[in-house]
Amino acid sequence: MIWGLGFFRAMGVTMRNMFRPTMTVQYPDEHLVIPERARWALAHKFDESGAPKCTACLICERECPDHIIHMTVSGDAASGKHIDEYRYELGACMMCGLCVAACPFDAIEMSHEYELATPDPDKLIRILLRDVDAASGKRAKEVAPVAAREAGAPGEPGAPSADGRGDGDA
Amino acid sequence: MTDDRLRVTSEGPIVAEGRREPLLLPRGLRRVPRGVDELATEHLIVNMGPQHPSTHGVLHILLELDGETVMAAEASLGYLHRGIEKLAESRRHHQVGTLLDRADYVSGIHTELAYAMAVERLMEIEVPEKAQWLRTLMAEINRIASHVLFVGTFGMDTGSMPTFLYTMREREALVDILEAVTGSRMMFNYVRPGGVTGDLPGGIIEKLETFLSTVDTYLDEYDVLLTDNEIFGPRTKGVGVIDRTTAIAFGMTGAPLRATGMDWDVRKVRPYAAYAQLDFDVPLGSQGDCFDRYVVKTAEIRQSLEMIRQLIAGVPEGEYTAKVPRVLRPPAGEVYTAVESPRGELGIHLVSDGSDLPYRMRLRSPAYYNLAVVDEALAGGLIADAVVTLGSLDIVLGEIDR
Amino acid sequence: MSPLLVIVLRTLAGLGLLLLNGVVLIYMLRKVLAHLHLRIGPNRVGPWGVFQTSMDVVKLLTKEDFRPATADKWLFRLAPLLIFVPSFMAYLVIGFSPTWHFANLDTGVLFVFAVLSFVPIGIMMAGWASNSKWSLIGGMRAAGQQIAYEVPLLLSVLGVVMLAGSLDLKVIVESQAGLWLGFLPKWFILPQFLGFWLFAIAALAESNQTPFDMSEAESELVTGFANEYSGMRFGFMFLAEFSNLFVSCAVGTTLFFGGWLLPGLEHNAVALALGPIVFMVKVYLGIFCMMWIRGTLPRIRIDQMLSFAWKALIPLSLAWVVIFAVILKAVRA
Repeated sequence: MIWGLGFFRAMGVTMRNMFRPTMTVQYPDEHLVIPERARWALAHKFDESGAPKCTACLICERECPDHIIHMTVSGDAASGKHIDEYRYELGACMMCGLCVAACPFDAIEMSHEYELATPDPDKLIRILLRDVDAASGKRAKEVAPVAAREAGAPGEPGAPSADGRGDGDA
Repeated sequence: MTDDRLRVTSEGPIVAEGRREPLLLPRGLRRVPRGVDELATEHLIVNMGPQHPSTHGVLHILLELDGETVMAAEASLGYLHRGIEKLAESRRHHQVGTLLDRADYVSGIHTELAYAMAVERLMEIEVPEKAQWLRTLMAEINRIASHVLFVGTFGMDTGSMPTFLYTMREREALVDILEAVTGSRMMFNYVRPGGVTGDLPGGIIEKLETFLSTVDTYLDEYDVLLTDNEIFGPRTKGVGVIDRTTAIAFGMTGAPLRATGMDWDVRKVRPYAAYAQLDFDVPLGSQGDCFDRYVVKTAEIRQSLEMIRQLIAGVPEGEYTAKVPRVLRPPAGEVYTAVESPRGELGIHLVSDGSDLPYRMRLRSPAYYNLAVVDEALAGGLIADAVVTLGSLDIVLGEIDR
Repeated sequence: MSPLLVIVLRTLAGLGLLLLNGVVLIYMLRKVLAHLHLRIGPNRVGPWGVFQTSMDVVKLLTKEDFRPATADKWLFRLAPLLIFVPSFMAYLVIGFSPTWHFANLDTGVLFVFAVLSFVPIGIMMAGWASNSKWSLIGGMRAAGQQIAYEVPLLLSVLGVVMLAGSLDLKVIVESQAGLWLGFLPKWFILPQFLGFWLFAIAALAESNQTPFDMSEAESELVTGFANEYSGMRFGFMFLAEFSNLFVSCAVGTTLFFGGWLLPGLEHNAVALALGPIVFMVKVYLGIFCMMWIRGTLPRIRIDQMLSFAWKALIPLSLAWVVIFAVILKAVRA
């Protein structure tokens, strides 16, 4: 190879790339498409009547590696649990999804809300549920977070689902 | 008198009004050359500081310079220490993955995989074939992403700006696939003891095939921009030579070791996951210089692409995870498992006392041992060579400092 | 008009041209590099981001002007001037058209290169006065590099001077008028092909552009000799770098590409009136090529760069001067 030819080939490569479309996605005018499984801020799920599906079993609070979920619950299983406060430290959350994987009632999910930056540090602690009655779980059974998927439809109370979400999304 | 070894400024510590102690330097560095009397010229002691555009993280290297030549070098670590191994002692076994993702943040799947294999070996869990297949696929995608990042940053170290941006284009495609499967672009939390957290969603195989069809052109472009370039060659050939004996003595693994000609790849020597069924070569170098380390890595990218093609050609059936109890209590004992991460042999030494928390988890980080050679490898070169040699070792401070 | 007024107006015009050039070139660099690298570059401040550089200048003007406490007080302040003023002075002799120039010197070529050789002094001064080891390393590298590459720069120009028979830039351009064989312009790049390449390489090195930008190697020294500078002091040096780029390309266009001449239309009054535009187009094409090279090639190491200069370029340019002189004498005899 002639010494020096490499320079021209390299310049040809960059010139060729000049005519390719740019990679930039100009946020906030354009947004990237978030895949279905992307894990962002924690959010609760509600049933048809608008009541939260959470039964205040406190499994998510125990599963969180950094202990950022704090639930204040009054009452007991007999008289009906009442969630005074479901406090979630958004600023400390690492969005690992272990709480969602552990929830036996499919009551929480990692939403797709990623525009979470705020200049106000108080907004980084969210009260996700306040002063609501907990749903009554038919079976408050401990289930394995990575149990094999059963044939039941996703979201049925009591049906164990590994990642708290529906089947492998098409 | 305090041993102020960590405070390296031009003068030493203040002992009285207007008077400074002479500086106590770390071993090996002297302001006056050895064997010469006090009238000689001084050598400059320079901090290639924790904040530096090309030390790949918060790495602090002290250089003793005679003009531009490096006479001695010493790495000073610990700026990214977060206590991962200590924190692991208070996390249950399926939560430790969240910590290990952050150790080597560029190759999270491999670190998680090593830990999951350690727990499985202690508990004697049989991982289904589909799960092994998924683990291997994600591991190879992660390997390509990491190697491609290496190519980009290594090019950047030598001054080639376009390579960095073009490799980011490749990495975007791969990280999008990883996000679609695992849920996160970098902190995957995907591999758990027993298997993985989920099967492939629809459309991933098509995305992979699209990627595979375009990536060869781009790899050839990197060859033109870097490998065949007349400036890149002299910058990297013969620079930072580490011979095989030194490499083995320091415990180096991965591409820097294979660049010296030693055929050692954990995927071949102690196969794990689905690697025993895959047909791939292990590229070797000969000189042990920066160019060979770079060429070995680009060849490994091509081998990983081959492996992915073989994997998606035959998708097995089955479950993506074994049935494991919700709370894992491995029986008391200790185990060491190793995987071939993009940086080298990444090992987890797990000591369990029968409870649901690990008694001790030690991460054998390959980059730590690869970096240890820097004290010897940098001496004798120029500052520019120091930057290039550091870049060629492909270190990630997260796993070095843990 | 009184001569003093003329001088003042010309100086202001030169300053205005330099500043305008700086603004346009910085924007052009960012856009060109961005598109080479699959990015977009500035596109928010003004239509297509054209006001980005002006806003950057405003930002630099409003920054705190501090000097490290241990930096040498007077040298630290003098260094940016020594880098900026010679660059401005070199604008004096550039001819944009037969009548548009600031001062038509008989020894234009000599003047330009003599004035530009002040820049390494300024860079060394900046590196030393910052009292910081990394700046010092950057300054020393620049010293070695720019002094080494001045020799091929001057020697490669000698061939052009021989062809034109004068050091006056206007005469050099005018002796490139005409066509060979009816279609090839008589620009000096054709007989001086090797001289042009020597000049191009040396000019890249003199302007501290990649692949010769070891003294400000971003991935090693952050900004090299200008590490400790902030605000408008840094702005001066930054601006001087781009104006050096313009001067090198302008001199190169004048010497090798026929300055303001359009091939075949040398005596056409309209073409001569459009001379400045033609000249600027040629210069900006040259600058585009320099930016293209900047966005592509890796950096040469300092010792390889110096050995390339002393062991390859200088002997080559000396040989070229001698060979070309012999050929020219033989052809003209």
